[in-house]
Amino acid sequence: MSHDTQDLEQEILDVLFERLSKFPVKSGTLTADTSLVADMSLDSVNMMELLMEVEDTFDVSFPLNMMANVDTVQNLADQIKLLVEKKS
Amino acid sequence: MSISDRFAELAHLRDALGAEEADPTRIVMEKILSPTEAMIAGRPTILVGTNNYLGLTFDPTVLAAASAALHEQGSGTTGSRMANGSFACHAALERSFADFYGVPSAMVFSTGYQTNLGLLMGILRPGDKVVLDSHSHACIYDGCRISGADFLAFRHNDPEDLRKRLRRLGDDAKGALVITEGLYSMLGDTAPLAELCAIAKEYGAWFMVDEAHSFGVYGERGLGLCEEAGILDQVDFITGTFSKSLASLGGFCVSRHPELQLLRYGSRPYIFTASPSPASIGAAAAALEAIRTRPELKANLWANATRLHDGLSAAGYELAAPVSPVIAVRVPSREEGARIWNALMEHGVYVNLVLPPAAPEGAALLRCSLSAAHSFDQIDAIIAAFKTVAPEVATGGAQSTAAQ
Repeated sequence: MSHDTQDLEQEILDVLFERLSKFPVKSGTLTADTSLVADMSLDSVNMMELLMEVEDTFDVSFPLNMMANVDTVQNLADQIKLLVEKKS
Repeated sequence: MSISDRFAELAHLRDALGAEEADPTRIVMEKILSPTEAMIAGRPTILVGTNNYLGLTFDPTVLAAASAALHEQGSGTTGSRMANGSFACHAALERSFADFYGVPSAMVFSTGYQTNLGLLMGILRPGDKVVLDSHSHACIYDGCRISGADFLAFRHNDPEDLRKRLRRLGDDAKGALVITEGLYSMLGDTAPLAELCAIAKEYGAWFMVDEAHSFGVYGERGLGLCEEAGILDQVDFITGTFSKSLASLGGFCVSRHPELQLLRYGSRPYIFTASPSPASIGAAAAALEAIRTRPELKANLWANATRLHDGLSAAGYELAAPVSPVIAVRVPSREEGARIWNALMEHGVYVNLVLPPAAPEGAALLRCSLSAAHSFDQIDAIIAAFKTVAPEVATGGAQSTAAQ
């Protein structure tokens, strides 16, 4: 079970890294600990586009208000994982 | 983030706009000459970015009504309707809106922003589901955010994307709120309201339309795009503003549900703010009467919009949408947007410069909003200014650099 969970987490992170690769990172390297706002300066429109893509990729509903709990790429992956696990 | 960090962030934003010479806060109208002209930087300037769609801000009937209300009822209401009571003019204007739409309920609010905030904070609770068009105005997002509801965006003007997102909500789609606008203020495109409404109803969702830019401008009677789409008997909530076609300050919400009136007991932006001033209500009431009785205003507006749209298209500009009272010119970069915007100002033409994130799907927009009060001479002068400031556009994009 934990192996599946890890696979899912990595799959989500891979999708996020791919989607985020077009945005510059202040430190130069995109990692799970990169902050979406402080390090990447994603504006509200970029963020919404990202969420709509994530929703379509994983067939989940990700309310915009959940972003209040998200700072880093890892935080976002954790939230998506919760939604995917809830669905199945 | 500390307050001093936030100040530094804002100063950075200001300095970036200043460096590009794209800071809209530097525009000061030194003297207002008419609904379509003002002195800016000592120069008479044609205004084509005011949202003064019907040009009623100097209409004699509107000025007379505002002036009479000012002198008979005073300069302010000095408090909220819950605390101080309503003035007769507030209740009368609400009846006028309800009658105009043929619905049992209408409420007026103190600004357009507070109208959407007031409706959404009044009807939504944490855990409720909202699906809104991704291009929705900031006050719609803010109302959803403050209410604590779960809100999701669907792709702009895409009925099938709305369907997909409602389907994903499963049982929660029933009773969810779907929000769209009529005419979108930035790109000047209109929502496919009949399709969006049908999908919302198919899933048992409520349907709300913000007609801020379309009230008085669309529909045979001027009721907006819901009238034009034939869905007035299905839409649950319609909101609008006084600060565009109604030439005043404030906003309204109408509903076919009598229960809308209950928001007077539980909408904080309605309860905890001063009610609209008598002059604002007087002006809006007179402008509403003008919409009812003077269809030529709408006809003039559309003739002007068509003339500008045709002229800018013929000059080679890329326009964001088919003809509407908002005509947005797409510009490939922020720098080019700022350059053309400043050059237009020097030629005595004021448009809105719109930069991301306010400009969706593009680098920059030069946004024109037409008025019934523009003359054809003014429209032709605007087109001539656009041709002068970007001759490369008029001669074809490929030759742009050589033409300079």
